[in-house]
Amino acid sequence: MNKSRRLFSQGQRQALFIGAGAFFTGLLLLAMISIVLLIAARGGGYFWPQDVHRVSFLSSVDDQPKTVFAQIQSEYMQDGQKMRWLQLSDAQSPYGRQILLESNRTLSLARAPEAARVALKDGRVVLAEPVSVESPESTSIAVARIDAVRENVAQIDARITAIRDDALSQIHLQLTELDQRKVSKNAPARKKLNKAFDRWHSQVLELERQRDSYRLNLQLAQGDDISIPLMDVYSLEHTGQLTAVGKLGVALNRVGRFLTESPKQANTAGGVFPALFGTVLMVFLMTIIVTPFGVLAAVYLNEYAPDNAMTSIIRICVSNMAGVPSIVYGVFGLGFFIYGVGGSLDQLFFEQSLPAPTMGTPGVFWAALTMAILTLPVVIVATEEGLRNVPQGLKAGSYALGATKAETVWHTILPMASPGIMTGVILAIARAAGEVAPLMLVGAVKFAPNLPVDAEFPYLHLERQFMHLGVLIYDGAFHSQTDAKSASMMFAACLLLLVVVFILNILAILLRARLRRRYERR
Amino acid sequence: MLKLFDHEHLDLDNLSDDLTAIRVEDLSLQFGNKHVLENISMRIPKHRVTALIGQSGCGKSTLISSFNRMNDLNPQCRYQGQIYIGDRDINNKKQNVSELRTQVGMVFQRPNPFPMSIYENVCYGLKLQGIKVRRQLDDAVERALKDAALWKEVKDRLFESASVLSGGQQQRLVIARALALKPDILLLDEPTSALDPLTTLFIEELIAELKHRCTIIIVTHNMQQAARVSDYTAFLHQGRLIEYSDSDTLFTTPEQKQTEDYITGRYG
Repeated sequence: MNKSRRLFSQGQRQALFIGAGAFFTGLLLLAMISIVLLIAARGGGYFWPQDVHRVSFLSSVDDQPKTVFAQIQSEYMQDGQKMRWLQLSDAQSPYGRQILLESNRTLSLARAPEAARVALKDGRVVLAEPVSVESPESTSIAVARIDAVRENVAQIDARITAIRDDALSQIHLQLTELDQRKVSKNAPARKKLNKAFDRWHSQVLELERQRDSYRLNLQLAQGDDISIPLMDVYSLEHTGQLTAVGKLGVALNRVGRFLTESPKQANTAGGVFPALFGTVLMVFLMTIIVTPFGVLAAVYLNEYAPDNAMTSIIRICVSNMAGVPSIVYGVFGLGFFIYGVGGSLDQLFFEQSLPAPTMGTPGVFWAALTMAILTLPVVIVATEEGLRNVPQGLKAGSYALGATKAETVWHTILPMASPGIMTGVILAIARAAGEVAPLMLVGAVKFAPNLPVDAEFPYLHLERQFMHLGVLIYDGAFHSQTDAKSASMMFAACLLLLVVVFILNILAILLRARLRRRYERR
Repeated sequence: MLKLFDHEHLDLDNLSDDLTAIRVEDLSLQFGNKHVLENISMRIPKHRVTALIGQSGCGKSTLISSFNRMNDLNPQCRYQGQIYIGDRDINNKKQNVSELRTQVGMVFQRPNPFPMSIYENVCYGLKLQGIKVRRQLDDAVERALKDAALWKEVKDRLFESASVLSGGQQQRLVIARALALKPDILLLDEPTSALDPLTTLFIEELIAELKHRCTIIIVTHNMQQAARVSDYTAFLHQGRLIEYSDSDTLFTTPEQKQTEDYITGRYG
């Protein structure tokens, strides 16, 4: 066949290949950027303070006009109508509910700078106009002085706590002691204690009454008044009156709270600190477990194992393990570690508390162990690669100075292979931080009452269940089908998970760069 | 009493035991099915420089590696015959290989300093022997670097990475690393083939110095180098020892036709 008869000339074919390559690379970049942008925009939007609007609309229940204060959660077009998800406060539900409002039922919608967003300590939100602050002495303190008044409330609360912790709990202990010694009900000591208890208790009640008479008076859009104990108020944001800088301040403050506080309202409000902590702790434990195992296995395969069919089979198995679906590892962890190993440990060491399991129950250690098994092949393969790259001359140099095989491995080969090992650890971290399915079987829960680390001996409670960002997102994705607000919380958690993985990776990459500078020649 | 005069030739066939560093008895060696060395017998004199020459693949590197059992690293390697250092047969299964290698140092073709500081490179062997006292290590490092004529160049940067040194300096560092263990025998496997001519001369001068401290065996492709630095030369061809005599004789009036062909450049 004649060359000139071909469809494209040499140059055209080359241009076609380059063009196709550039196109797909561009597509890939576009996909990556849009993922990051979407997550960043939706996640970041969760923190940005939204304006409060005064919305009038025809109620879908009785077709009567209604006026509410509302924040727009999200809006979209459907059948030529603008649909808005509103978070509103009205007389029936001052603590907020969500409605979906079509534009043809909307009568008016305008920003309401007078209205504020009042967040309560339990995560609920009231949108209303602050009228005044009430104290036992005065019924109409200006709202601007709310911080000074809250100071008083905090002082009273501190006194209540002090009485509870010091006096009342002491008396409680002494009473319990009397009970144990079977002292009669009418003994003078007991009477005396009861009297003291009553005295302190009435003092607490009085203080509580005093504390609760500090109130914040609010007015809803239709003029209904509501009054909230100042004790319950978490924050009061006049978002409509804030400048851009002020809003940024509020947003940063919210980011801080998001990172440091516990979730509220079934993971739809509050912070994600326990999940963040659980994720990092689990990844950290996993790294500690998987690194020595993976490295030892790779050293054996590369340096000690004879070059035969068995070794090849082991290598193939290791590579295949990387492709096993992660849920299989979850089931394995549940069946082997928790029921098998944990159950046996219970029978051996914690028999007195059976049938309630001590170790044979999902927990952060079993989760870390399961994830270690899941990421083991990654570490082994990367380490082997690193070991293969150690120059033969260096090994020979070490042997020639009288080093045994173990000494050569320890002093020369492993340091030289450490950048390769770090590569494996980076991949393992990235994989482990993102997994959700196996974790839900072996220890990650939607809500854990305690962190796995606290001030109580032995400080690190490896048997405790933990919260995980991935599980939180998964949970949020189910809420989000009916709830626009928790959708944005889910995006915020997504953003945080991305940032966590990114930071962990950056740390590992920096460490690897350091090792490379040190151990790679020239 | 050792004879240390350079120009007095020893009778290699009837070398007395106290002048012999290494006695090779009927050594044969195979890698798998390939016969690399066949029936080699020779005596290498103490405190002399002995060169092994021959074309590529003749087995000279394998022979020199037999002297500290580096061939053991190849799992396919099999050997028969004895190699005596002193009165021990180092081919004996009971020989402690690590201990042997501290007594028989080896330097390779490419400089292979460890990716550590200069100081740590020299200490490597000593630390393996369990020497941890800082003073002892300091002294040993200084002495070894002085013996390898490197001390002046690196004394101010002992704790810098060895990879910043030039090729010739690295090779001297590797020699110092071996000397730190005070070996009786130093094996040099083409030590200058990766270096430039000037640096090569420097290393050759160093070799001439070092033979007062230990017996030196050098493998080289460079005939001039062999003639310059060695007192005795062995010519190997296809795994056999063809000719072995003092260098003057071997390079001026070789007995064997094959030797003459090789040194005059007719092959190899």
